[in-house]
Amino acid sequence: MPGRSASPSSDPQAWVIVPDANEGVGRRTREVWQYRRILWFFSVKALQSLYAKTYLGVWWIFIRTLVPLAVGSFVFGSIMNVPSGGVPYFLFFLIGQVPWNCFDGPLIRGSRGLEVNRQLLTKLYVPRIILPLAQMTAGVVEPVIITIVLLGALAYYRASDGVWYVQANWRLTACMASVALVLAFAFSLSLWTSVWQARARDARFIVRYVVAFWLYFTPVIYPLSVVPPAIRWLVYLNPLTAPVETFRWGMLPGTEHSWAWFGYSVAVTFATFLGGVWYFTRSESMTMDTM
Amino acid sequence: MSERWDVSPRYPGTIATLAEVWQYRRLLGFIGDRALRKMYRRTVLGWLWLVINPLFPIALRAIVFGGLLGVGSNGLPYFLFLLAGTVVWDVFAASLMWGTRALEMNRDLSNQIYHPRAILPFGNMTPALLNLALKAAVFIAALIFYTLRDDRVYLRGDPALLWAGAALALAFFLALAISFFTSIWGETARDIRFGLGQLLSVWYLLTPVLYPLSQVPEAQRGWMLLNPLAVVVETFKWGLFGVGEFYRAEFLVTTAAVLILLCAGLTYFARAEARTIADR
Repeated sequence: MPGRSASPSSDPQAWVIVPDANEGVGRRTREVWQYRRILWFFSVKALQSLYAKTYLGVWWIFIRTLVPLAVGSFVFGSIMNVPSGGVPYFLFFLIGQVPWNCFDGPLIRGSRGLEVNRQLLTKLYVPRIILPLAQMTAGVVEPVIITIVLLGALAYYRASDGVWYVQANWRLTACMASVALVLAFAFSLSLWTSVWQARARDARFIVRYVVAFWLYFTPVIYPLSVVPPAIRWLVYLNPLTAPVETFRWGMLPGTEHSWAWFGYSVAVTFATFLGGVWYFTRSESMTMDTM
Repeated sequence: MSERWDVSPRYPGTIATLAEVWQYRRLLGFIGDRALRKMYRRTVLGWLWLVINPLFPIALRAIVFGGLLGVGSNGLPYFLFLLAGTVVWDVFAASLMWGTRALEMNRDLSNQIYHPRAILPFGNMTPALLNLALKAAVFIAALIFYTLRDDRVYLRGDPALLWAGAALALAFFLALAISFFTSIWGETARDIRFGLGQLLSVWYLLTPVLYPLSQVPEAQRGWMLLNPLAVVVETFKWGLFGVGEFYRAEFLVTTAAVLILLCAGLTYFARAEARTIADR
């Protein structure tokens, strides 16, 4: 358009470049809501890119979820004889895996939120916080598959042993609360890790490393009761312990858990989330520049 | 009368391929150096990874499986038991990982100068060997510590120790043989790169590293021995400490299978390399 650059200050159509302002959590949240349709687009894209250009395609999702379940329950249950509190170990293992997979997959995917969309981010604007969120959404597929396997296993044990090992009452709502808490924690952490991953190559390995060993310090493959009571608080300091234990308590009768530590996990998650939003918005523009 | 040109991919044959690798052996150091540098380039922790990698996972696993869950260890201190198993397992796993990525990581090199491609999987395994050296140092330190603490000689001092060396070599050559296939397949199929990590983590659980084979229920033990790595790891620990059993027949069968696989791999690689590289 001729004339636009002639007198930029008087022209109402002139471009105004606003230096990146730290706009505050409220505006950010509203912005994410405005862009909500993009969330779906990025989630589907994340899921597809998982198995894009592979021969087995979507089967990979099932293989990578189900094979470790089968092998893990054989090794830990039959070979190592890990106690499972009166339930068949396979069932015990499955129940622990549901909340764990709400953490593991979503965190690892969410951490890659900025990194994988590098190409796109340098070209157009989207509220960046949507990206880890969308990547994370793709990670919910695994817990859903495991839940289906769990239902199948329950039906199987009902037929073979004649008992429903799982109770169906109001306690199941505690399971949902635990899952929600774990997801929120994974998202809060990925606000930090996605920034690191966009900057440093080995942040990715560090995240994978830490998550892989985090599993061992969360009572997923073993019950909390194998930990000596004197040092149990140490395991509870891990904010995932309480939700996993509460999830199990919600399903299995005769197990114990602690609402106090659950409250602690909620507090840790909340702090991580607030800190994460602050950190993410603060370092957003700087990260974009280095990408 | 004009000359007739016949252009076809070179296929030198298995022996000739090996001979050529030997001719170009000076490149090995160069390729290994590249692989090492690539590993730590643009990383925050840098060379610290070299120390974290061998120590951290073993220590944590020892706490959980040896301490909390009380998994058996054939009467050895669990840490020592786990360390020995991890040494031989990691030689296999790391070599396989690096070997598989050999062609992909050196594509820029291959596009510019001629060199026998078969040298790439050999050279690219350098980081795995460096890793082995570091773990071996940790192992020797742990061995001395436990020997002094318990006043008991854990390491056996007879020629059977040679079997441990054979097992270690077997783990390496098995990884090499498999990477002759996977590095070629990985060029075209993303599944290979994607699935290898998944496969190795499951394979690790099924190999008696975290637990002794004697702890496996009788009914499944025969099946477990079909896993060549199970034989290798058990032999390694038997050779070092004299614990567990020596599955002589299985070990010989595994050795033969690895040799056959190695020849087949070299042949396959030699046939496929011209095709795969030329397509790039």
